[in-house]
Amino acid sequence: VSFRTKVFLSITATVVFAVWMVAGIVSALVTKSFERLDAQRTATLVAQFHREFERRGAEVVRRLEAIASSDQIARIAVDLGSPQFDPGKYYDQAQILAREQSLDFLQLVGPDGSIISSAEWPARFGYKESWLPQLGDTKNVFLKREELADGAALGLIAVRTVRAGNAPLYIAGGQRLDQQFLETLPEVPGLRVQLYDAFDAAAPPLVREVRQNPREMTRTTAQAASTAIPLFGRENQLLAILLVENSRSELASLKNYIQGTALLVGMGAVLLGLLLSFWTASRVTRPLRQLTSSVREVAQGKWDARATAESKDEVGQLARDFNRMTEQLIEHRDRMIQAERVAAWRELARRLAHELKNPLFPLQITIENLQRARETPQFDEVFRESTTTLLAELDNLKTIVGRFSDFAKMPAPELEPMDLNRVVQEVVKLFDAQIHAPGRPPVEVTLELDENLAGIEADPEQMRRALRNLILNALDAMPAEGARLTIRTQNLDDKVALEVSDNGAGLTPEECERLFTPYYTTKQHGTGLGLAIVQSVVSDHRGTITVHSEPGQGATFRIELRIELKA
Amino acid sequence: MRLHAWAWLALSSLPPFSLAGATLPRYGGALTVDLSSDSSEPVTPLVTETLVRLNEKGEIEPQLAVAWQRDADRKRWRFSLRPKVGFHDGEALNGSTAAPSLGAALRKKFGEVNITAGGQALVLQFDRAVPDLLTELASPRMAIFRTSEKSVLIGTGPFRVAVWEPGHKLALAAFEDYWGGRPFLDSVTINLGTTKETGDIFDIPFSQTRRVLPERIRIWSSPVRELMALVSDRVQPEAFEALSLAIDRAPIVNVLTQRRGEAAFGLLPQWLSGYAFLFAPPRKQTTPQVRTAPSTFSYPANDGFARAVAERVALNARDAGIVLQPTANPGGGVRMVRWQLESSDAGAELSRMAGLLGMPERANSLNASKPETLYEVERALLDAHRVIPLVYLPEVYGVAPRVHNWSAGFRLHLENVWVDP
Repeated sequence: VSFRTKVFLSITATVVFAVWMVAGIVSALVTKSFERLDAQRTATLVAQFHREFERRGAEVVRRLEAIASSDQIARIAVDLGSPQFDPGKYYDQAQILAREQSLDFLQLVGPDGSIISSAEWPARFGYKESWLPQLGDTKNVFLKREELADGAALGLIAVRTVRAGNAPLYIAGGQRLDQQFLETLPEVPGLRVQLYDAFDAAAPPLVREVRQNPREMTRTTAQAASTAIPLFGRENQLLAILLVENSRSELASLKNYIQGTALLVGMGAVLLGLLLSFWTASRVTRPLRQLTSSVREVAQGKWDARATAESKDEVGQLARDFNRMTEQLIEHRDRMIQAERVAAWRELARRLAHELKNPLFPLQITIENLQRARETPQFDEVFRESTTTLLAELDNLKTIVGRFSDFAKMPAPELEPMDLNRVVQEVVKLFDAQIHAPGRPPVEVTLELDENLAGIEADPEQMRRALRNLILNALDAMPAEGARLTIRTQNLDDKVALEVSDNGAGLTPEECERLFTPYYTTKQHGTGLGLAIVQSVVSDHRGTITVHSEPGQGATFRIELRIELKA
Repeated sequence: MRLHAWAWLALSSLPPFSLAGATLPRYGGALTVDLSSDSSEPVTPLVTETLVRLNEKGEIEPQLAVAWQRDADRKRWRFSLRPKVGFHDGEALNGSTAAPSLGAALRKKFGEVNITAGGQALVLQFDRAVPDLLTELASPRMAIFRTSEKSVLIGTGPFRVAVWEPGHKLALAAFEDYWGGRPFLDSVTINLGTTKETGDIFDIPFSQTRRVLPERIRIWSSPVRELMALVSDRVQPEAFEALSLAIDRAPIVNVLTQRRGEAAFGLLPQWLSGYAFLFAPPRKQTTPQVRTAPSTFSYPANDGFARAVAERVALNARDAGIVLQPTANPGGGVRMVRWQLESSDAGAELSRMAGLLGMPERANSLNASKPETLYEVERALLDAHRVIPLVYLPEVYGVAPRVHNWSAGFRLHLENVWVDP
């Protein structure tokens, strides 16, 4: 993750967290305020309900008083005392009186509790309302579930007794307590009042809960805050439940607004964080990027690369330290080069001395033999042998010098399209005579050449020389018996590979590491230039050479060459 | 079928109500009738007539037909139409003009019938014996009429239709050329489906019969001539029998009809059959308790009295464990019906009721010469547990003092009514 991204994430996270915290706190405060307001509104409405309940009750009493004092009732009361009383005459009287006084319920009941006339259920004449004689006259208004032809209804009921003789006439009347009654309450937006007098499965859970445990309860959900108030009858039996539901839609919309605003602010914060992080990162990372660029240049070999160290902060200090470090590296490199040159010259001198000392000693002996034989009769024979030896050793010296000369004068490769398989076959053919020479241990040569090997651009002569050196190196490393030489070619993606493997004694890791160093050899009579020449050829062709070997497991030299050198 | 002797006795004990005053009849004047029902059926006999009619004694007497003959097996009937009778639009009554409406009514009742018209003769050929044809022909359903291009009824009765607003108003004018002589009244306005009581004649709901009426208005009550009953369409017989036993008819009679009706335990009222008391149950009987699924039971729509009775029946039914919800909407397993008696022929009425109950075959054993078959058929109909008679109802009218010579039989008779100026 880049520094800029880190700065961006840090700033954004900080701002978003801050916005989230503020939004959360504001939401919590708003919720609390709303809950307080809900409770106040519910209490107000419930108080209003109770006031309306009392007002309606007083109204019912007043209307019932009017009925009780009416001429019709007086006539019925008088008639009631007559032995010939015919209740059928007054069958619809309750309906007429109820209509006049706008009562929903009205029953005229005789002394024995028999209904003389019923407004709410006219067909019930003659049936008993035995609770009325037991209750008698009462000043109180009470709730009562009234049975009707099509079900039941909740009523606000009052009772009056009229006597014209010994037989009392009971008048029970009232008004419905239903949703219409609730609609007379002042309308409060967002507040819904419902009356449940049937506790069936369709009733809300809170109503059913209060039904089980009749006491006032409040429940709050995401949609509404509900308060259920039980309403009891004359004998304290639960008759209905008033449910006040406070819609929380306003709260929800306000919360949504807060969340929306927070989201917008958060998005703005992200945008701001992006800009800030861009700006901050630019300010902070510019010297770092310059430093990084300088490091890359150094890595690419530009040792004179320098970092700008304008600021006096840690980054500036880092740039100055970097510059000091590169200066020290250059000094160290120069010293190393110098030391390596000296070492190389010393090694060259040592090699030259070693290489030249070997033929010089026979030369010295031969010349001393000639001097001693000059006065002897075998001088001619000695002369002839000595000159032959001298020539041979001189030729040897010439060869040694030629090798060094060749290595020193390694020409630049002349590139041309080349078939590597063909070069391999030609070189191997050159070694046929040496490999199959009589008296020499047999060598099993295996060629695993890729028939579809891509053509490359290379200098065929230099490649032959390199391959020759590798084969010679392999033949030198071969065991006396069971010698195997394997040469492979194969296509890679944009390269071709050439492998030369032997089953010789193998190399140690240290030997592998120094193998391509000029004048380094593991052989007694090697110049240490063979593999150095191979590496030089491969390097001139922008290829790579590697060796894979373990002691006792043979060695494999692998050359990888680009198909297109221009690419 | 003739009225039985005992029924005659009962009928004769109900003196026809007449408001004939001391003044002589006079022509002219208009009469207004207010009816709570929106059906024009009770008043169509003022406009249309039948070939024969039943008099108050239940006897067949000529109306548009003056004579008739039948063959021995009662399949072929020949009627001689009254001459010089015209329809309200001037068309003469003859076989050709009478055949269409009569043929349609006969085919509806009897199926295939071949009618041959020739001059004033009308020959009816049935493919089966029709012994009670004359009684059937006396029914208003067999009226002879024509219709105008505006579907206005054109009959031969004492009044012609002047204005017809279906369900609201029927205005009639005296038919000057009525074969029986011009009616006294110049016009009659019948307001239908109204609860107004401003007319000269108006029907009064039972619940209002005990109230104080406007000055000099007198209440006229007919003998019971309507049966209110429950008919089961698909209720189990056991439940229906339990319902029958659960219903207490006394409160219905005493309170809902204000003692003007009669408890009904049979199909025909006592005055018509003479044996209705035989169906009355013993005073004390236990109502079996049954449990039935709630169902609706329908009563005639826009009928306040029917609704009150239905609610009472539902209340009684609930006591027996039968949950019935009265409704004005048709449907449900039980329906309340109101069957008007159309004649004083007990056999014909019983036969008609058997048809209405969907059991016309049960009336096949009726034999005019064997009065006991009447009881047997009615008992069989009741034992089928398809019908529960509830109450017999009379008609109750308020009649203004200016109305004279008013009487109401099985239909409104206004042709002889005259009014003070």
